[in-house]
Amino acid sequence: MTFKIMIDGQVHGVAILARRPHLIVEIGGHRYRVEDLCDGRSGPQSLRIDGQPVAFTRAPGAGGGVDVRLDGRTYEARPFDPAAEAAASGAGSDRVRAPMPGAVVVVHKQAGDAVRRGEAIITIESMKLQMALAAPRDGLLAEVAVREGDVFDKDAVLARLQPAAEER
Amino acid sequence: MSLTSTGPAAPSSRHVPFRKVLIANRGEIACRIIRTLREMGIAAVAVHHAVEARAQHVRLADEAVELKGDTPVAAHLDVRQIVAAALATGADAIHPGYGFLSENAGFARAVAEAGLVFVGPDAASIALMGDKISARNFADQHGVPVAPSVMPTADLADFVRRAEAIGFPLLIKAAAGGGGKGMSIVRSADELEGAARIASSEAQRYFGDGRVYAELFVERPRHIEVQVFGDGEGGAIHLFERECSVQRRFQKIIEEAPAANLPGALRDEICASAVRLAAAARYRNAGTVEYILGADGRFFFLEMNTRLQVEHPVTEMITGLDLVRLQLEIAAGHGLPFGQDAVVARGHAVECRICAENPERDFLPETGTIQHLAVPEASYLRFENALDRGQKVTADFDPMLAKLVAHGADRTAAIDRSIAALGDLALFGVTTNTDYLARVLDHPAFRAGDLHTGFVVEHRDALAAREPETGRLHAALIAAALGLREFRSLVLDVPEPHASIGAWRN
Repeated sequence: MTFKIMIDGQVHGVAILARRPHLIVEIGGHRYRVEDLCDGRSGPQSLRIDGQPVAFTRAPGAGGGVDVRLDGRTYEARPFDPAAEAAASGAGSDRVRAPMPGAVVVVHKQAGDAVRRGEAIITIESMKLQMALAAPRDGLLAEVAVREGDVFDKDAVLARLQPAAEER
Repeated sequence: MSLTSTGPAAPSSRHVPFRKVLIANRGEIACRIIRTLREMGIAAVAVHHAVEARAQHVRLADEAVELKGDTPVAAHLDVRQIVAAALATGADAIHPGYGFLSENAGFARAVAEAGLVFVGPDAASIALMGDKISARNFADQHGVPVAPSVMPTADLADFVRRAEAIGFPLLIKAAAGGGGKGMSIVRSADELEGAARIASSEAQRYFGDGRVYAELFVERPRHIEVQVFGDGEGGAIHLFERECSVQRRFQKIIEEAPAANLPGALRDEICASAVRLAAAARYRNAGTVEYILGADGRFFFLEMNTRLQVEHPVTEMITGLDLVRLQLEIAAGHGLPFGQDAVVARGHAVECRICAENPERDFLPETGTIQHLAVPEASYLRFENALDRGQKVTADFDPMLAKLVAHGADRTAAIDRSIAALGDLALFGVTTNTDYLARVLDHPAFRAGDLHTGFVVEHRDALAAREPETGRLHAALIAAALGLREFRSLVLDVPEPHASIGAWRN
């Protein structure tokens, strides 16, 4: 039985190889013996992996997932359901939305331009700060819906990528 | 170390005649001021907009008044309503905190005219220091070094001619500006005229005042500031310096006291010039004189902030003094409680500003809902915040969520304690710069004290988040999986016989 978990946009499989006498899981070809399974509550927790104690903080997170803080790093984990994911993200990841209300300062890319993930499409100004809105993934820009000087509300769609399927 | 640890005098023996003080602010600074008011037996009045009716500062205060406003920020900037709230609740004084109305001369005047005490300088001092040009001229007249500059003019051609005469690089700023708006660095004569025109139009747009000025730009400058207190009658002391060189978007993210590797004679010279300025201005209450310091040891007056600073806790940590208490005592007319010789610095303190922002996306502000908050606790730590589980982090207010302040016997100890505390801090539900701050503190250049205001840009690649080690990532996946109900039931809910024969059944 493999359980799929997404962290930072990457899907990882956690396979349960045995439950008794110890939980044995396999992740990316590595096997781990897991003991002292803690309880499911929020807050500081610990368990043992291959005999070594591991301390962390865990609490429910967004989208039915959990957030884990371990060794000075926060992991936002959520169960990965491929079917639900395809339905939801298909539209979501194509759009560049305004994180807050503001005005357009510079439009860097135009419809038809190829963009790489993280590349700036529009620079906006909001809360007296200028910030670049970046492409959510590699792709072709289908539309840039604003011009320099335009004002917009929070969550307005400012640019749209061509759906991934259309590009092939 | 705590806020109540004994300072050079015994300030608690000085009676402050206020029974009730209104705090014209919100968030962590309102909570921090309430803490001192409580210790002094003074009642606290909070003000708030409807969207923050159940915020921590409202709950901590003895009473609260709702301010009406189209936006929460507009409510906190409404002089008339705030003065009316103080009068209606019978407050004796108003503490403005930082930001909002704290450096608004009109507010200080309105408070005084209503017969209330403003916990800060008088309106004239705020006006003098609030205008960069009048502040600079005043500093210059009183022997505080200022950078060679061109005074503002509406005549751009004349401006360009005189700016060229100073040489390059030059920094062009809006005369009425702040927060980095209308600022640019010009490195050659060719760029000068265009840059001046842009700065002027930005200044007009943001501040309704198109005047710009230019000054010599110091390469790799450090930001050093001096905490001063004045009695309003020409008496002034300093509480040493702070270093605030690590900035992003022209805003500080890490501050420390004392400054790193600052030669003693230079520190004395900088602190003495700040005291000279405060004394000459007959400055009353707490203020901060900001300087830029060049690699060659030359320092220039930048501006004076006429209020309590965000980063005041690092000064409290090394001096053992409560700056809000000092402010209230001076506001009550007690003058300075002790002389310069009584102020002693011990150890080193570092403050990290925890902000709702994504360092991986150019420090873009983030929003969310606080799902969980676990805060490290130790006698040498302060976690200044007003956060609650379930609280929404919106674009309504500044993205600064909290301040983590650590004290240590020396700079290395303060840094190590800060890094450990940042690691132990769990703030879920909104992306923050917590881990980024730890990477800055742990960078060899930071540890060496090789600081300047371009630190974040210079070390951008080294400060970027690295992929987690495989072992750590897998441990996190196991910890996460065991927090997910579906996984737990797969692992734990299977009846014993099935669990043990699981392998046989494939």
